Amino acid sequence: MIKTLQKSTWVYLFTGLMLVLLPFFKDERWFLFLMIQIFVFGIFAMSYDLLLGYTGIVSFGHAMFFGVGAYSVAITLDRFEPSFMSLLLGIVIAMAVGGLIAFIAGILTLRLKSHYYAMLTLALANLFLVLAEKWRSLTKGNDGFTFQIPELPGGLEDHRNMVIYLFCLVSMVVIFFGLKRLTESPLGKILVAIRENEQRVVSLGYKIMPYKVIISVISGVVASFAGVLYAISIRFVDTSVFAIDMTLDALLMTIIGGVGTLVGPIIGAGIIEFAHHYLSELSDVHWIFERWIILFGILYILVVIFFPSGIVGTINHKLATRKQRKKEDEQSDKLAS
Amino acid sequence: MDLFINLAINGIATGMLIFLIACGLTLIFGLMDVLNFAHGGIFAWGAFVGVWGYSVTQNFLISIVLAVIAGLLIGLITEYLIIRPVYGNHIQQILITLGFMLVLSEFIKVVFGPNILAAQKPPFLQDYWLVGDVTIIKYRAFTIVVGFIIFVAIMAVLKYTKIGLIVRAGVMDKEMIQALGVNIRLVFIGVFMVGSALAALGGALFAPSSGVAYAEMGMEFGIFAFIVVIIGGMGSVPGSLIAALLVGLSNVFMAYYVPSLAMAVTMILMFLVLIFRPEGLFKVSGVSNK
Repeated sequence: MIKTLQKSTWVYLFTGLMLVLLPFFKDERWFLFLMIQIFVFGIFAMSYDLLLGYTGIVSFGHAMFFGVGAYSVAITLDRFEPSFMSLLLGIVIAMAVGGLIAFIAGILTLRLKSHYYAMLTLALANLFLVLAEKWRSLTKGNDGFTFQIPELPGGLEDHRNMVIYLFCLVSMVVIFFGLKRLTESPLGKILVAIRENEQRVVSLGYKIMPYKVIISVISGVVASFAGVLYAISIRFVDTSVFAIDMTLDALLMTIIGGVGTLVGPIIGAGIIEFAHHYLSELSDVHWIFERWIILFGILYILVVIFFPSGIVGTINHKLATRKQRKKEDEQSDKLAS
Repeated sequence: MDLFINLAINGIATGMLIFLIACGLTLIFGLMDVLNFAHGGIFAWGAFVGVWGYSVTQNFLISIVLAVIAGLLIGLITEYLIIRPVYGNHIQQILITLGFMLVLSEFIKVVFGPNILAAQKPPFLQDYWLVGDVTIIKYRAFTIVVGFIIFVAIMAVLKYTKIGLIVRAGVMDKEMIQALGVNIRLVFIGVFMVGSALAALGGALFAPSSGVAYAEMGMEFGIFAFIVVIIGGMGSVPGSLIAALLVGLSNVFMAYYVPSLAMAVTMILMFLVLIFRPEGLFKVSGVSNK
């Protein structure tokens, strides 16, 4: 069993273990919080990459899944007593609603050109934003609301941030390996084939629609779960979870980190979150840092044009060509001798 | 009755403004197979340049002209820098134009400041006419007239001029047009610039009627324009007019009677079209949606 694990899996497990130990050395609140954000957005960006990188579907409304997840768990915990049962209920509701929305959006537009899914999700996300602003009795509008999360048993309550940190980390690692398994399964191979050449997949006898709908539902469910973690980690929810900025963040993380890989989005999430943190401190130095969206936007455009496969993709590509070259060298050496 | 007519005029005026954005979007899509998510950003730029121009020159006509020039320039820059490197790759086009949209709307905040600008109507369009017991706000009538003139002009150009012939043929079959010795690249740039200018014109007309210009309006109206293009049929100019009027009217009426459902009704319209007629109300031959 252990022998069959890939070398990369060991690297991932080792990194995960390091991250588990990290808060025992550096447990300032802001740092833990930043790391939690990275895990949450790492999950969110991975779910995004399932669509963009693996299947070639562009969604501009991914924030709606995130927001639905955040609001579902927040409202459940707010309405019922903050116990683990209502937390579980909230998570189940979040994932069910997220999956349902993804299903509806999918069957409506995935048979059409990629533009349609992008436009429909953008419009739907906007609808949810308006809904969250207007339905004040449920969402408390623009102000948002705070809520209690279940109390932890015994001495763990004093280390609540640490527990949330570990919970988010474990969730991310589990989802990472789950999705890795998914993308390496026959289903994942068909998705990549659809991305590369739809016509050919059709002529091989596959129906494309079910696969696309399945992956959009999975992606929606995972994104809702990221929203749940986000709400739990800050114990507050407002309409900003539905904003286009959320989708943009996922997009940036995926594109910069590397589309079509699962590590890429996590690395992207790390870079973007740290950049957010340090750039907002720099705003005293120069006003341009207050408008950091411009910097990110320009960076993003440049990456789309010049490095369409992102950091991880570019590194992988370099490694592959080097290996190839080495092989060729060896072969030519053999031929020469 | 008074109320009904007023709402109807308001709806048609809003529809005309949406049409100005949507017709550029639909033409660009039909001809170049590019969906420009940055189109709404140009609308917002038109609004800001218009408001700024009016506050500087106090001349409405000049402010409109300035906005249109800004639209032409931004269109040129967008086509040259953003669209050209990614021709033929749909996913990259969608991604890059959304990125440019955000850069455009953030740049508005850099140039004009982060605050909402107040926009004034020119004096000769400020009040209203009384027809019987119906009040007609002059500015809305003006918007409708301008929108209608633009529609007729576009249709006339497409139908009766050589350039229009080339554009219509290009929508149907790009390769054939190229084979006949037409420089399709120039046509692309031209259509892109005109489409952007129309969006900027829409923005410049919109700001005085709503009284404000804000950077996020690009995204808001961009979404309306996408919905209109889906409903009307991608690539069809008359389709986008009909759909824009439909969206404008339903939006205004719902906003008056059931305000919380105003956005929902537009979405329901789009859902119905996507379920029963995914190619839109007016299908254009040569433009495929699959």
